[in-house]
Amino acid sequence: MTSNFDDRAILAAGLNRRSFIKAGASAAALAAVSGALSKVAYAADGFIALVHTQAAGDQSAVDSMIAKINQLAQEKGVQARVVYAQDPATYETIFRTLADAGASVIVSTFNEVGEPFKALAPSYPKTKWIQLFGDAIEPPLPNVVTVSYDYYLGCYLSGLFAARMTKSGKIGYIGGISIPPLNADFNALKAGALSVNPDLTVTAAFAGSFQDPAKGQEIATQMFNDGIDYIQTDSAATDGGIIAAANEGAGRMLSTLARAQYPLGPKSIVGIVSLDFGQSLYIEVGKALGAEWAGGKHVATGLGTGVVEFELSPLYAEQGPADRVAKSKEIWAEIEKTKAGILDGSIVVPFNTTL
Amino acid sequence: MNDIIVAILRSGTPLIYVTMAGVVAQRAGIWNLGLEGLMIIGACTAIVGIVLTGSFALAMLIAIILCVLASVLLWFVIEKLKANPIIAGLGLTGLGLGGTSLAVQAIFGSQAAVTAPFGVPKLGPAFGPFGVLSIFVLAMPFAVFAMWVLLRRTRFGLRLAASGEHPFAARSVGANPSRMRLAALIIGGVLCAIGGAELAAGSLQIYAQNMTAGRGFMAFAAVIFGAAHPIGSAFAALFFSVVGALGIRAQLLFGDAVPHDLLLALPYIATVFGVWLSGKLRGGRKAATGFAELRDY
Repeated sequence: MTSNFDDRAILAAGLNRRSFIKAGASAAALAAVSGALSKVAYAADGFIALVHTQAAGDQSAVDSMIAKINQLAQEKGVQARVVYAQDPATYETIFRTLADAGASVIVSTFNEVGEPFKALAPSYPKTKWIQLFGDAIEPPLPNVVTVSYDYYLGCYLSGLFAARMTKSGKIGYIGGISIPPLNADFNALKAGALSVNPDLTVTAAFAGSFQDPAKGQEIATQMFNDGIDYIQTDSAATDGGIIAAANEGAGRMLSTLARAQYPLGPKSIVGIVSLDFGQSLYIEVGKALGAEWAGGKHVATGLGTGVVEFELSPLYAEQGPADRVAKSKEIWAEIEKTKAGILDGSIVVPFNTTL
Repeated sequence: MNDIIVAILRSGTPLIYVTMAGVVAQRAGIWNLGLEGLMIIGACTAIVGIVLTGSFALAMLIAIILCVLASVLLWFVIEKLKANPIIAGLGLTGLGLGGTSLAVQAIFGSQAAVTAPFGVPKLGPAFGPFGVLSIFVLAMPFAVFAMWVLLRRTRFGLRLAASGEHPFAARSVGANPSRMRLAALIIGGVLCAIGGAELAAGSLQIYAQNMTAGRGFMAFAAVIFGAAHPIGSAFAALFFSVVGALGIRAQLLFGDAVPHDLLLALPYIATVFGVWLSGKLRGGRKAATGFAELRDY
């Protein structure tokens, strides 16, 4: 530390370091930009682009979208680009760059991309913009399609199923963050359960994050300790902790989000309310690549299209407790009947976004 | 009752290990805002290490090495490049959060979650209802006590504290404040590796992107709340865990009447309250002197 007291040495060392850091940063930035431009230039003849705003590797929504856009690209003979936009501040820049590079279709997810879509779509009329899991854009833009899902209908079926499966009469729901669509999921789950037995209790809790499995485990453990024996999850990567908690005790049942989760809880995950983003992307982008695509509209879809389903786990059927497995098979006909009722309009499930 | 204790120990143990890392850094005169980044590095490398090597011991070794290297980097930036320690710490947090995501993507081709086939060894049936807890939970009180002994009852600890409180005075008795800070950050790196590993592999066996969810900052707040005293800070961290558990309990009991977001914010409200309270106490002011002293060594 003696050099601390030598001003000239500090100054000289500081300047050298500063120059070195500046040069290094400049080189890194140049390399990054060059790399990005070369990739874009390579695909400049028209391509389909997926911009996902949650991390891949979730064995669920994002992974399935990536798989499906690549499948579609192969089938249609076009190039696909997949970009992870982690920071909302970068959304507009990323979309603009892709559109500038000649993307024929840009598909992205969730409401936070709505504003960038509205800002950019009019400037790029040749690009078709598809927003999955988003609200309708007002006023409609001729080259934008928004898609929403009736996931809450799957939760209604799960609630009905839970009411028949529970032994304690207590059902739980764990969501990532309390936002309107998830609130609607909980309300539908509760409505489904109470339609069978009004004396049941249905309790909701939120982890405050979609990526905090430790918090998910804490909440689920408290719920199970309170006697809840069936939990509907709605929290992406936080689900991992909920599944871990369910695996710590016998007789604990879960309905989760994705088929890939079945092996994580073969004796606890009874089924899933699936939302197949990949299938939805496949349908919507497939339409956009066709000649008869029409923009300027909002598509509400889900139950009955293969995008939203409530289904039983085949692993649970093999490894779950015999009495619960038998019970699930026994009541499945009622679930199918209710689903048919929802689809033909004879059963109306309210979409209530307030808790 | 046992269930509640198990839940609090589960959530509190990772926080306490990381808090101890903050305590030793604070004693050495460094406000370590890189705890969040070090914790996520520990969490990520523990799980990834188990997956890649099939050995818990090797995974922990990798986690410790990486966390120590990151700590040494922090020391280098602060001590040699004369960076502001607050900014450098935040930079380390950014590096940890971003670097782990990048590493997982590079290794597994995905960014969000990695599941390990096993985790930290459990205490086992001999411990009854506490058998589901990991060995790190059992070791935690000993680690806190060892930190107290180290800082208060050893020549090294006293020199380290002197280096933090008055570097010139420490130097006058032959201590090298810069090296003491390096030692403090290395010890902290080891503790953050254990804390991160406990978070991801203690009972979960899962790494999820950004899964620390602000726990490193809560640990830092616990250091301030506990006036950088090992035992006081450990209790502060435990207090935050209890408040977190109460927040969940409140959601289950009063979720119909009180907004969930407000109940979820309870641990963070408690954290702010704790930091404010520490400012009202002598210990809080004492802990807060570190930053001023750091500027003149």
